[in-house]
Amino acid sequence: MLKNYLKIAWRNLAKNKVFSFINILGLTIGTTCCMMIFLYIMNEFGVDKFHADKKNIYRVMRGFDMNGTKLSVPYLSGPYAPALLNDYAGSIKKAVRVMHNYGLVTLGNNSFNEKKLYVVDSNFFSFFTFPLVSGNAATVLKDPASVVLTETAAKKYFGNQDPIGKIVELDKSLKLKVTGIAKDVPSNSHLDFDMVVPISNYANEEWIKIWINNNNFTYVLLNDNVQKASLEKSFPKFMDKYMGKDLARFGAKMDLSLTPMSDIYFEPHSAFDNVKHGDKKVVYIFLSIAALILLIACINFTNLSTIRAVERSKEVGLRKVMGALRNHLVYQFIGESVLITLISCLLSLGLLKVLMPVYNHLLGYSLTISWNAAPLYLFLVGVIICVGFLAGSYPAVFLSGFTPIQALKGKLKLGKGGSFFRQTLVVVQFSISVFLVIGTIIIMSQMRYVKNMELGYNQEHSIVLPVNNDMYNNRQAFKNELENLGSVASVSYMSGEPGGFFDMHTLKAEGRNDLVWKTRTEFTDFDYVKTLGLKIIAGRDFSGAFSTDTTEAALINRTAAKSLGFTPEQAIGKWVQNTIRDDKKRRIVGVIEDFNFLSLKEKMDALVITPNDDHRVVVIRLKSGNVTAALAEVKSAFAKISASYPFEYTFLDQKFDELYKTDIRQQTILSIFAGLAIFIACLGLFGLASFTATKRTKEIGVRKVLGSSTQGIVVLLSRELLKPVILATCVAIPAGYFAMNSWLQNFSYRTPMHWWIFAVAASLTIGIALFTISFKAIRAALMNPVTSLRSE
Amino acid sequence: MIKIANMHKVFSTEEVETTALNGIDMDVRDGEFVAIMGPSGCGKSTLLNILGLLDNPSEGSYEFYGTEVAKMSERQRAQIRKGNIGFVFQSFNLIDELTVYENVELPLLYLKTPPAERKEKVEAALTRMNMMHRRNHFPQQLSGGQQQRTAIARAVVATPKTILADEPTGNLDSKNGEEVMNLLSQLNAAGTTILMVTHSPYDAGFAHRIVNLFDGKIVTEKVHV
Repeated sequence: MLKNYLKIAWRNLAKNKVFSFINILGLTIGTTCCMMIFLYIMNEFGVDKFHADKKNIYRVMRGFDMNGTKLSVPYLSGPYAPALLNDYAGSIKKAVRVMHNYGLVTLGNNSFNEKKLYVVDSNFFSFFTFPLVSGNAATVLKDPASVVLTETAAKKYFGNQDPIGKIVELDKSLKLKVTGIAKDVPSNSHLDFDMVVPISNYANEEWIKIWINNNNFTYVLLNDNVQKASLEKSFPKFMDKYMGKDLARFGAKMDLSLTPMSDIYFEPHSAFDNVKHGDKKVVYIFLSIAALILLIACINFTNLSTIRAVERSKEVGLRKVMGALRNHLVYQFIGESVLITLISCLLSLGLLKVLMPVYNHLLGYSLTISWNAAPLYLFLVGVIICVGFLAGSYPAVFLSGFTPIQALKGKLKLGKGGSFFRQTLVVVQFSISVFLVIGTIIIMSQMRYVKNMELGYNQEHSIVLPVNNDMYNNRQAFKNELENLGSVASVSYMSGEPGGFFDMHTLKAEGRNDLVWKTRTEFTDFDYVKTLGLKIIAGRDFSGAFSTDTTEAALINRTAAKSLGFTPEQAIGKWVQNTIRDDKKRRIVGVIEDFNFLSLKEKMDALVITPNDDHRVVVIRLKSGNVTAALAEVKSAFAKISASYPFEYTFLDQKFDELYKTDIRQQTILSIFAGLAIFIACLGLFGLASFTATKRTKEIGVRKVLGSSTQGIVVLLSRELLKPVILATCVAIPAGYFAMNSWLQNFSYRTPMHWWIFAVAASLTIGIALFTISFKAIRAALMNPVTSLRSE
Repeated sequence: MIKIANMHKVFSTEEVETTALNGIDMDVRDGEFVAIMGPSGCGKSTLLNILGLLDNPSEGSYEFYGTEVAKMSERQRAQIRKGNIGFVFQSFNLIDELTVYENVELPLLYLKTPPAERKEKVEAALTRMNMMHRRNHFPQQLSGGQQQRTAIARAVVATPKTILADEPTGNLDSKNGEEVMNLLSQLNAAGTTILMVTHSPYDAGFAHRIVNLFDGKIVTEKVHV
C-alpha cells in the first residue's frame, strides 16, 4: 500500500508541475531561510560553550554608581587576580588576567600592527579551552619571552615556514619566541585574539602594580562546590581591605560581582566592555522571522493542497468505493505532504550548502556550526514532521470526510467554510508580509537617519592614526610637519576620537560637594575644537595665549554643564578636578555644544576636555581636494618619524560607521528574509489565482459570450483575490506601527515614523499581489469563450 | 441475497426536498442478472448507489446477504463493500496516475491480500479481460473499450459476490459495448450477481430481469426466460 501511495504521490507531483513547483519552491526557500536562521541562533547560543570548565568560569565585574545609575564594568587592575587567588584560596581554583592590547610586531624589515594582541597570565591556555595545534597548554606561556600565535597570524607572519622557535619582536622592545600555535578563535567566542603574550613581561611595570589602574579582564575558576552568591557576599570586605583608602579618597563606592561565562556574550555592549557581544533581542527577531517565513510557506502548502485535492476527488471517491477507510486516505494525503516536505528539505540542504559562503559573508563571520551538524538534521526532521503533518492534515481530513458518491461525481465543493478558511490563511500570510516590509523599511530608515544625522562635529576628510611609541616621542615634530603640508587643515592629538573609546573618571566640581561626578574625559592638545569643528557656546577655546591653560583650563560640553546644574554661561569660571589625573583644580574656560562622541545608541553624556599628554590617537583634517595626494603627503611625514610602523589609518566617518556595522548587516539580512517572505506569499497567491481562474472558466466563457470585455474579466477575478490582501494590509499596519515604535525605543535618536512608510509597504505588497494575480487573470480573460465553455 | 423493503431516499437542501426513491421493494437472488431502467432522474443511480453501499437510504430496510445495512456508518459499509461488491461505471473511473495493473490491484491492497496472491489474481483478471499486454499503460493511453475492460478487471479481481454496473456501455461504441456486455454475461454465468443500470434496451436484453423505475417507484418488472 505504501508503494502505491508513493507512486501516486510522485506521479501527482510530476503531473501537476506548476502546483508542485510552487509548493516545493516555497517550502524549500522557507526551510532554507529557517535553517540559516537556526544556524545563526545555534551559533549565538553556543558562544563560549566550548570551554571545558565553562560552568565554573566567571568574569569578575566591578560595580559602581555613576551619577545615580549603577554601572558594572569588567576592567580590573593588575593586583586583583593575585589578591583574589590569595584571599579565596579555598574557593577560587584559578584566576587569569586578559588584557587586550595593540602592538607593533617586527620581523626583520617587515612590521605589522597587531590589533588582536592579548597579554595574559601564563595559565591562559589551560584555563580556557582554546586548542593548540602545536605546544603544550600548561607550559606554552611559562617563559616570559614566549608568544603564541593563531594559525592565521602564523601564516601572516611566517607564510608556509614552521613558526615554532622563530623570534618576533613586539613594540621594538620584547623579543619573543613562538612556542605555540593555537587554532583560530571560533566566531562563537567572546574573546578574540591572534597573538598571546605572557603578562609576566610587564610584572615590574608600575601600571600593573597599582590598584586604581584598570586595564584587564579577570576571570576566575571556582571550585565545584562553591556558590557564586556566597562568594559575592564576601567581596565588600575584600574591597575594603585593598581599595578602602583609595575609595575614601575619591569619595566613591565600588563592589565586585561575578558574571558566569555563559552570560557574558549577552551582556549589553558598551564602551567599557568592548568584547564581542550578542543581542538577545536580535536573536528573538530572527527567530520570529524564521517562524513567520515557515508559517507563510505552510499556509501556501495547506491552501494549494486543499484546492488541488478537490481536483483529486475522483481518486478519493474511487478509493472509497474500493474499500478505503477514512484513515487510509488521511494517511495517504499526510504521506504525500510529508513526501513534498522531505523533497523540499533535501533541496534546502543543497541550497544551504551553496548559500553558506554568501550567508557567512552577509553575517560578517563564519558560523561555527557546520551545515551538516547533527542538530540541523534534528531540526529538519522536526520540520518534516511538523510541516508535513500540519500542512497535510487539513486537506487530508477535509477530503476524506466526503461520501464516495460526492467525491466520485466530482462534486466536492470547498464550501463557504473552506473558502473562509483559505481567505483567512491568505490574510495571515500577507499580514506577515506587510509587517515584515514595514519593519524592514523602518529599520533601514533608522540606520539612514543615524548615518546622516548631524553629529555636531566635522567628520569629512578627517583621518585617524593610532599614536605609536615613535610618534608619541616625536609628537610635536610630527604635528609641525603635518601643519606645514598644504593639504592638511588641522591636527589634534587626543585620547579618543569620536566614536572611539572615552574613559570615565570621577571629578569634583565647584559647589557640588554632594556629587560624586562621573564623566567621560577627553585628554587632548589645544587644537581639538578646531580640528573637529566643534561649536563653542560660552567662553573660549584653549589658547596658547594663556600660559596656564595646559594645567589649569578645562572645556566641558553642554550636557556636563547641565548635569552640574549650570547654564553654559554660569559654568564659565567654575572649577572642576579630575581626582585621578589632576593634582589641582581646573577652571572651565569654555562650554562646547553637545556633539555625538559616542554611538547614537547611547545617550548624550557629560564630557570634560582637558589638555593632557595621554594621547592615543591623532586626528588629521585634510583640506578638501585631492585626498589621495594628501594621504601620500601624510604618509611621507609619518615615515619620517615612525618608519618602523606600518602606515594604517581610518577615516573618521568610516570609524563611526563601524559602530553600526552589525546593525547594517542585520538590516541587510532582514531585508532579504522579508523579500523572500513576500515572494513565498506571492507564490501562494499565484497558485490561488490559477485555481480561481480554472474554477471560474465556465463563468468567464459565459460572461464573454454575453459581452464582457477582457478588462472586465480581469477586474472581476482580481477583485476577489485582492480582498484578503487589502484586509491583511489593514491588519498589519497598526501591528507594524506598534512593534516598530517599541523597537525604536532602543535608540536615543529615532527616525520619525512617516506615514509614507506604511503607504509604501501597503502599495508594494498590493502591487506585487496584483501583478501576480493579473498574470493569471489576463490569461483567463483572453481565452476564447468557446474553449472556456467546452472545458466544462 | 439482496433484499430491500419500503426504501425511501430523500435529498434535502436548505430550500428543496427531492424524493429520489419512494417506497422500493425488491429482492435479488444469488447469481441473478438484473437490469434497472427508466428515464433520467427516475432514481436508478440512487438505487444503485444504495445497493452498492455507497449511500444510506433515508428510510426502509436493506438486507445484504443476511446483514441489515440500512443504518450502517460509512466505515461499516466500507468494510462490507470491499471484497463483496465490484463496481463498473459509465465513465470507467480509473485513477489516471496508476497503470492498468495498479488500478486493478487497488481493491486487493485495501483487502490486505499478500503480494504473491495479489499478483496472481491481478494477472488472472487482466488475462481474462485480455488486458495483460496493456498492463503497464496508463488510462489515458487506452481506448474507451480497453478502459472499461480494465474497470471490469478491477471489479472482479477480488471475486465479489455482486457487481454493480452503472451504464457500463454508455461511453462506448457498439462494438466495444457488445464486448463489455458479453464479459458481464460471462461473469454472471460463472455465478456473480449483476445489477446494472442502463438506458439501452439492447443491453437490458442480457439481463434475467428488467426493473423499470419511474419517479422513484418500481412501475414494471419483466422477467426474461
